[in-house]
Amino acid sequence: MSKLIRKQIIDSVSFNTIKESRFKTMRISVTAFLPLEKATAAQNALMSLVMTRSCRKYPDFTVLSKKLSSLYGAALTSGFRKMGDVQALTFSVSGLDDRYALDGDIISKELSDLLCDVLFDPLLKENAFDSTECEQERRQLIDMIDSEFNEKRVYANQKALSIMCADEAYGIPRYGDRESVMSATPSDLFDAWQNMLKTARFEIIYVGDSDSSIAFDVFKKRFEAIDRKPVSLSTTVKRSADMIKRENEDMELSQSKMILGFRTDVAEPDSDVMATRLMCALLGGTAHSKLFCNVREKLSLCYYCSSSYIHSKGIMLVESGVERENIEKAEKAILGEIKAMQNGDISDEELIATKMSMSNAFYSSCDTVGGINAYYMSQMLDSVVYTPQEAVDKVNSITKEDVIACAKKLTLDTVFTLTGVSKNEEEV
Amino acid sequence: MNITEIKSDALSEKYYKVKHDSGLTIYVYPKEGYSSTYAIFGTKYGSINNTFKVDSGDTVRVPDGIAHYLEHKLFESEDGDAFSRYAKTGANANAYTSFDKTCYLFSCTDNFEESLEILLDFVQSPYFTKETVQKEQGIIGQEIKMYDDSPAWRVMFNMLMNMYKNHPVRIDIAGTVDSIAQITPEYLYTCYNTYYNLNNMVLCVAGNATVDTVLSIADKMLKKCEPHTIDNIFEDEPDYVMKDYVEQHLPVGMPLFNLGFKEKAGDKRVDEKTLAFTEILLFMLASSTSTLYRELMDKGLINSTFSYEFFEGEGFASTIFSGESHDPEKVADIIKEYIKSLKVNGIDREEFDIAKKATYGDAVASLNSTDNIANMIADFDFSHRELYAYIEAIAKASAQDIENRLSEMLDIEKTTLSVIKNS
Repeated sequence: MSKLIRKQIIDSVSFNTIKESRFKTMRISVTAFLPLEKATAAQNALMSLVMTRSCRKYPDFTVLSKKLSSLYGAALTSGFRKMGDVQALTFSVSGLDDRYALDGDIISKELSDLLCDVLFDPLLKENAFDSTECEQERRQLIDMIDSEFNEKRVYANQKALSIMCADEAYGIPRYGDRESVMSATPSDLFDAWQNMLKTARFEIIYVGDSDSSIAFDVFKKRFEAIDRKPVSLSTTVKRSADMIKRENEDMELSQSKMILGFRTDVAEPDSDVMATRLMCALLGGTAHSKLFCNVREKLSLCYYCSSSYIHSKGIMLVESGVERENIEKAEKAILGEIKAMQNGDISDEELIATKMSMSNAFYSSCDTVGGINAYYMSQMLDSVVYTPQEAVDKVNSITKEDVIACAKKLTLDTVFTLTGVSKNEEEV
Repeated sequence: MNITEIKSDALSEKYYKVKHDSGLTIYVYPKEGYSSTYAIFGTKYGSINNTFKVDSGDTVRVPDGIAHYLEHKLFESEDGDAFSRYAKTGANANAYTSFDKTCYLFSCTDNFEESLEILLDFVQSPYFTKETVQKEQGIIGQEIKMYDDSPAWRVMFNMLMNMYKNHPVRIDIAGTVDSIAQITPEYLYTCYNTYYNLNNMVLCVAGNATVDTVLSIADKMLKKCEPHTIDNIFEDEPDYVMKDYVEQHLPVGMPLFNLGFKEKAGDKRVDEKTLAFTEILLFMLASSTSTLYRELMDKGLINSTFSYEFFEGEGFASTIFSGESHDPEKVADIIKEYIKSLKVNGIDREEFDIAKKATYGDAVASLNSTDNIANMIADFDFSHRELYAYIEAIAKASAQDIENRLSEMLDIEKTTLSVIKNS
């Protein structure tokens, strides 16, 4: 089921095929992995946006959009994210499978060509990107950065991570910083593009029914023409917290937010990553987890209270939405649940239920094209890539003792609270 | 029991519709090769159904937010909550309440039959006591407060609140901290007995499941309901909008807006064709391919969050354009000007062809996901539409159809602009 076949094109460029006939759509994504650095993160992010806006063949945003719409509403997107101390720039196209075209169009071929046009043949003016295109995307990226503040749950999460990882590359936002976005020039973006083609590690993921060899050949030809010197990628892992960092921010809100950041002492490629994942899910990853049942339902302390694990960094975050007067109580209650796990207070039912939930999630993620892509994408930097079945087998082999051992390794690193105050209080 | 096969040769897809003896309408949409199954059990009952006649003939007005409250409470039974029962099957369960429906759902890859039994059982087993009802006020109060802080949520409700004068679509789905304080077990039972009659409900299963399996569980679990008429009462709603502008201040980094056009809404929901034409029209008008989008983008007035939606239900319909902008009023002016000129000059044929293909592609692609399928079929059942008829209506649409549709909607004299600015 949804097995990935990986073929190397050249050093540090691989083509991954997942052959699937179940879907009505197909998707090709190309991800460039580069070190996450303060000096380049913003340029890379902005570059990726400008590149999916137009290219030499479709030199204008409307022309490109029309081309996509005429391919049955195909989508061309780009995005940037952090995977450990690595910045991942993803360019992808998705569209209807050839079988469902109304008039016999071969959509898959058109989509592969389009993605190559975008990646290798952008709209250039001498050694610079087009300045009008840059300005448009710069404005939108700035809007996006500013609007991240709109949703306080997202904001609080990011703030906590930036405090926690202030001395690590991971503390840099995925888009760099606002000032660098403002100052990046069209020629900086050209350099960033060249640097990406020459030094990034590339993973191409093809999910679909049509023959992927055409796309493979197209990409092979393009990459072979580049004089490449791939960069090495690494992520630092802080094993445990030295002391607890506490920060608070007051804001005019009805509901306060609290984020607890833990060091887990377990990160890729350690052997107990899956056990830590299970521990984290048991704590707060499901609607029958300890945090949900006890902190939310029994104590009615938080509307939401959940945990997530960043396996590349060995970090676990517990996030909650809580009434201002309950912040302290909620922290105690959350830490109490962790203590309980450490003391072995884990029932067989809890363990089995969490394993089943995780298995369900692994299997279900592969029932959509986007899900398959995301499932494998998240493992692209891992030492071993698991199929959903292998991941399920791995989860099922974990014992209660393994989970307890992982829980015992947790150390609290950061507590960030966003305290809701009324307008008058804020002004004082 | 009556089983109908509904088929589309063009899409090589099919599903089954069953009118079960219990009164429930059941849909089963098998998806070959899928490992997961998605099931949704829903009632045509949402936040807008706040005034109705009961069996005695009396009219009751129930507290705002009760449909959502009922959804929370139904998860609880005398012997524990549904989540802990699902924990034993590994299913991923959830529920939601919207303006006009309440749905309980799960997705799973194993133990489908057991999970379906749980779903059918707990939704048919109300258990409300004074204590349990009171206890929920804390959590729901928290949820309401979280939405109060959400600019995206506020900007939409402020728009609806100022567009509609009487229709309950103007009321927040979750109600207010004060309104939910008035909820009693008696109110909950009244609503439950009125709307959770199987004749008013639907079960949709999509993915790795067969009709036989679903029916065998249905036969075992469903308690026959006698059909009864549901008398929803909606006050008359004027054609005009109550207010054309509303502004709220919240801590935001980017201002947000919703521009709503109040559309004609009769007693009936729009049919497949009207919906298909509307979707094509709005794609032509405001998708990233459109002239309008391009103009707004070039002027630096919108960003990629700009989107549109045709929002309709019993007794209400509106077209909503939303996004982030430093100058929402300018955006609204340009949209209105553009619509005005489009109505005079007619639509462009090339743009129509593109919009039709893209809308068709989207609709076909939505059949990939069991979650989409089950939710769409439930929604279509409640609005008396059929899925393939909708997709076919897109494929067969003509430019004339779109012009006709344009002439009857998007009246620029009936708009409400809602804006959230930084406090």
